[in-house]
Formats: sequence, C-alpha cells, structure tokens
Amino acid sequence: MTRYGMAIDLNRCIGCHTCSVACKMANNLPKNMWWNRVMTNDGYTIDSARTAWPQGMLEFTPVACQHCENPACVKVCPVGATYKDPDTGIVRQDADKCIGCRMCMSACPYNGVRSFNWEEPAAYYDFAVGDSDAPEHQKHTVEKCTFCYQRTSQGEEPACMHLCPERARYWGDLDDPESAVSRAIEGRSYQLLLEEMGTKPSVYYLV
Amino acid sequence: MTENVSAAKAVAAPPVKKGGAGLNIAIVVSAVVAIIGIVLWAMQLSGGMVQTAMRNLDSWGLYITGFMFFVGLSAGGLIISSVPKAFGIQGFGGISKVAVMTSIAATVAAIGLVVVDLGQPFRVWELFVYSNLGSPLMWDIIVLGTYLILSCVYLWAQVQAEKGKVSHVALRVISVVALVCAVMVHSVTAWIFGLQQSHEMWYTALLAPWFVSSALVCGTGLVMATVIALRAAGYLKLDQAYLVKLAKLLAVFLLVDLYFFGCDLLTEAFPAGSDLAVVDMLVSGPLAPFFWVEVIGCIVAAVICLVPGLRTNPLLVVASLLAIAAIFCKRVQLLVGGFQVPNIDMAWVNNPMAITGAENGVLQAYQGMVYWPTPLEFGVTLGVVALGFLVFFLGLKFLPLKPQDQE
Repeated sequence: MTRYGMAIDLNRCIGCHTCSVACKMANNLPKNMWWNRVMTNDGYTIDSARTAWPQGMLEFTPVACQHCENPACVKVCPVGATYKDPDTGIVRQDADKCIGCRMCMSACPYNGVRSFNWEEPAAYYDFAVGDSDAPEHQKHTVEKCTFCYQRTSQGEEPACMHLCPERARYWGDLDDPESAVSRAIEGRSYQLLLEEMGTKPSVYYLV
Repeated sequence: MTENVSAAKAVAAPPVKKGGAGLNIAIVVSAVVAIIGIVLWAMQLSGGMVQTAMRNLDSWGLYITGFMFFVGLSAGGLIISSVPKAFGIQGFGGISKVAVMTSIAATVAAIGLVVVDLGQPFRVWELFVYSNLGSPLMWDIIVLGTYLILSCVYLWAQVQAEKGKVSHVALRVISVVALVCAVMVHSVTAWIFGLQQSHEMWYTALLAPWFVSSALVCGTGLVMATVIALRAAGYLKLDQAYLVKLAKLLAVFLLVDLYFFGCDLLTEAFPAGSDLAVVDMLVSGPLAPFFWVEVIGCIVAAVICLVPGLRTNPLLVVASLLAIAAIFCKRVQLLVGGFQVPNIDMAWVNNPMAITGAENGVLQAYQGMVYWPTPLEFGVTLGVVALGFLVFFLGLKFLPLKPQDQE
C-alpha cells in the first residue's frame, strides 16, 4: 500500500513563504485562497515575535492539509465529496460533488486548512497560471491541499517542496522505508500537529 | 385532549371556521416577509456568501444557530401532545392539535435554515443519491424528514380519530413512534456538533441529553405562549388549570437544563486545563451577555412558574418568552463559542476569507465575538422564520385545530 506523506524540518524552515506561493501558483488558486500557510508560532502577526526584544525568537510552522489516516472531514461529509484516495492515502475533495454545507471545515481540527469559495473564484490575471491540469475552483464549494494530486499521480513531487530554498520538506511513501520521507523521519524526533485529536496525520514535523 | 375523544362517539366533520381579519393580516404579512427573505437568499446565492459574516474559521453562523433553535422549538408541541397519549395519562385540555401545528411550523423553519446555509442548494438531490450514512448530518436529514412527515401524519390521525375513523390504539401507536422520533431528532442534531473532537466546547457526551432538555424548555415555552395568545384572541378556550400544569412542567425542564449547564461548566472548569478557556469565554468573555441572559432568564422563568402567586397570565407569557430567549442565547453560545477558541493559536497571513475581521490581525479577530451576522443574514433568517409563521397561520385558518368540543 502506498501512503503518501510529508516531513517538514522545522529547524530548516526560515519562514520565507515560498512554499505558500509555489502552492498558490501551481494550483491556480483564486484571490484570498491559501492552501498552504506558514504560521509564525508566537506572533501577533506573521513574522513577528510576541516576546519583547531582544529575547524574541522567530519560529515557523507551515500548515496545510495533514492528509490524516483517520480524517475527521471524510467521516462527516454527507455526500462523500471529501474522500480518502484508497491508492495513495491522499484526502481528496470533489468540487463537483460538494454541496457547500461546510461540515468538513467545522470537523477538521486544523483551523483554516479547508477553505470555502465565499465568492466567485477571482483570478489574478486574464489567464490561468500553474499546472495545465490544475484543479478547477468552484464558487460555494470547499477546497484544500490535494498534495498536488495532478503532480503526484504522475510521479512528481508536490509544488510546495519543489521550490523550498532550505530543502526543509521531504516527500514520499510512508509505507516504503527507502522513500525520502521515511529516511528523513528515521532517527529524528518529530511532532504531529494536534496528535491528541486522534486523526493520525501524514505530515511529520521534524524538530 | 384524550378525555374529549371517544372512538365510539363519531362526530360529523366540523365545519372549517375561518379566522378573523387579524389572522388574514398575519398570513399576508408573513407571506410578504417570507418572499422578501427568498429574494435576499437569491442575492446571497448570486452575489456570493462573502456577503455573510461566515468565514473559513467561523464557517457556520446565524443560519445554523437558528437551525438548532428551531429544531428545539419543534420539540414541545409534539412531546406535549404525544406523551399523554402514549402513556395514557391526562393531557392538556385539547391543545394537542395546536401544539403539533407549532411543531410542524418550527420543523419547516429548521429545514429552511439548513437550505439557506448550503452553498450549493441545487445539489441537495445528491444527499439522496450519494448518501454517506456515516455522517451525522446525513442522520439528521433522515430523522428531520421523518419527523416532519410524522408530525403531519400525527396531526391527521388526531383529526381522523375525532371523527372516529382512526382507532385509539392506532393513535397511541403513532404517539409512541412520534415521541421516539422527537427524542432522536434532538439527539442527532446534538451529534452534528457533539461528535466533533475538534471543538472542545461541543465534544461532550452530555450534549445530546442536553439538547433534549433545552428543546423541552423552549418547546414548552412556545406552546404556552401560543395557547395563551390563541385564548386571548378567542380562538380556543382553555381552563387555567391546564396552563398551571404546563407552567409546572416548564419549571421542571428549566431546572434540568440549568443542572446540565452546571454539570458541563464544572467539568470544564475543574481540571483548570485548556477547557477553562471555554468557561472564561462564557462567564466573563465575549459571550458573557448571552450566558447571563440564559442563566438569569431561566432562573426568573422557573421562579414565575413555581410560585403559585406569580402564575398570572402576563407573567406566564413573560416566563415562556424568557425560556425561549434563554435557549436562543444557549444556541448562540454553542455555535459562536465552538469557533471562538482556535485549536492552532498561531499567526498567519491576514486573509479576509479566513476569519471575520482578519483585516486587523488574526489575534485581534478573536478579541470580541469571532462572528456577528451581517444584515443580509438577518434578512434571510427573518424570511425563513416568517415561512414558519406562515405555515402555522395557514394551519390555524384551514385546519380544524380547535379543541373538539369547541368546534
């Protein structure tokens, strides 16, 4: 069984937001839509520290869909518009099926990972950007990170790790001990985001 | 009501009595408001739900608050009329049919509020084609639909029973089924929220029984206010003793509901862990006005219902309206409170689609109430509520809802 997952080395992340932008470009995300956000751990706003100078420390946590093994969103979707791809373990979202009830957004513990198109998706340019087979965006439906399904199903890597200047991200099959992600996790201490929720995320934060 | 009915005593179909001019005006006004609501809903769909105050991190709002509230309101009528029949005890003096009519109207409003909340209402058919039977939302759709149909059947059966066309036993069986369904509909509505581990405030086993008790509070309040109003309008006659009985019942429900609230608050506060944030938010935080209106409202209403000297008609109306208002405040606390405490307390890029008021920074957005409805949401909600009123008024006008001996 293939179970795609990702490891993010928090010691390497410099909070440059390149992965967020790469994701936004590759998936032709509409205005105000972010599937992948780099959070500032202790900030009032991004890239700021809550502690007083000079003790301030900048630490970042990039957060996108955790592609949980036990996803809360999949269970609650009344029409099965969000589902777990049995071949890859990727949690996918069918925009044509979504009825816009937003139950998945409420059930997902990772605040803001799922986004709703609150208005007609607006493009930045007159033309689409990113991958030729980037997912379509529909008004009044929920969408989120797909682990760049259009890329990974072709054997490529997700866009977010592709441009990471610090090479902080690792990608691959968690069930394959030889994959890049398995080797990155091996022997390292890691954290899972909101592990206590029991969702078994497939994104490992190396610390 | 049961004591008035006898299968042996076949009564000719009572003539349908038209209400007075007041009823006609009420029908026209509620129809107009409902149509305005539909126009506003069309605006919401065409212009986008960005016109509401809901955002990614507070993804439900007034519509779902109203949904919870109206599901609760629908309880009283059905339970008050079915319990005496199901257990063969003395009822409430012929208000059974009017009570069930309030249930039907409230259920229609509840279903309407879910529909206006949907982003893609024209895909509703998918619910029946691609049903994910594991989703609490799907359970609710099934139970709520059954509940509406059953309420209508139950009302029909009562009218038929009075004509001697439905046997007592059959009516009693329908009463039992209706009662079970009524308890289920509140439990399942609670499970939409109570099974989400991601919201500390919602994730408690107490939520389902608590929804039943809250439903009984506002449902009984609604029946009491309705029958006092109908009696004042001369629609029906009712002995004061039945009202006193309803008031005592309301007092018990109020105290049970407060007891559940106390248990829940203590469980959250005692370990002084992360759940303490929920208690702070309710008692002294952004949701304090709703918390205190609920608590004080429930206590005042219970005192009015329990002290014999206070059980005057005006005060009983005050008590029932306080009970209804208190449960509405409860719903606001639950819904907004569920989104008020984020799981991930980190700052990220300001984004007007992520959270209401994100323009001033993410942490700022959580200072006050994380969600407050826009005028459009108030308008659409008002329209759906008017639809519920319309259903009720039409029932009063065209259905034989008066106590049998007063037809």
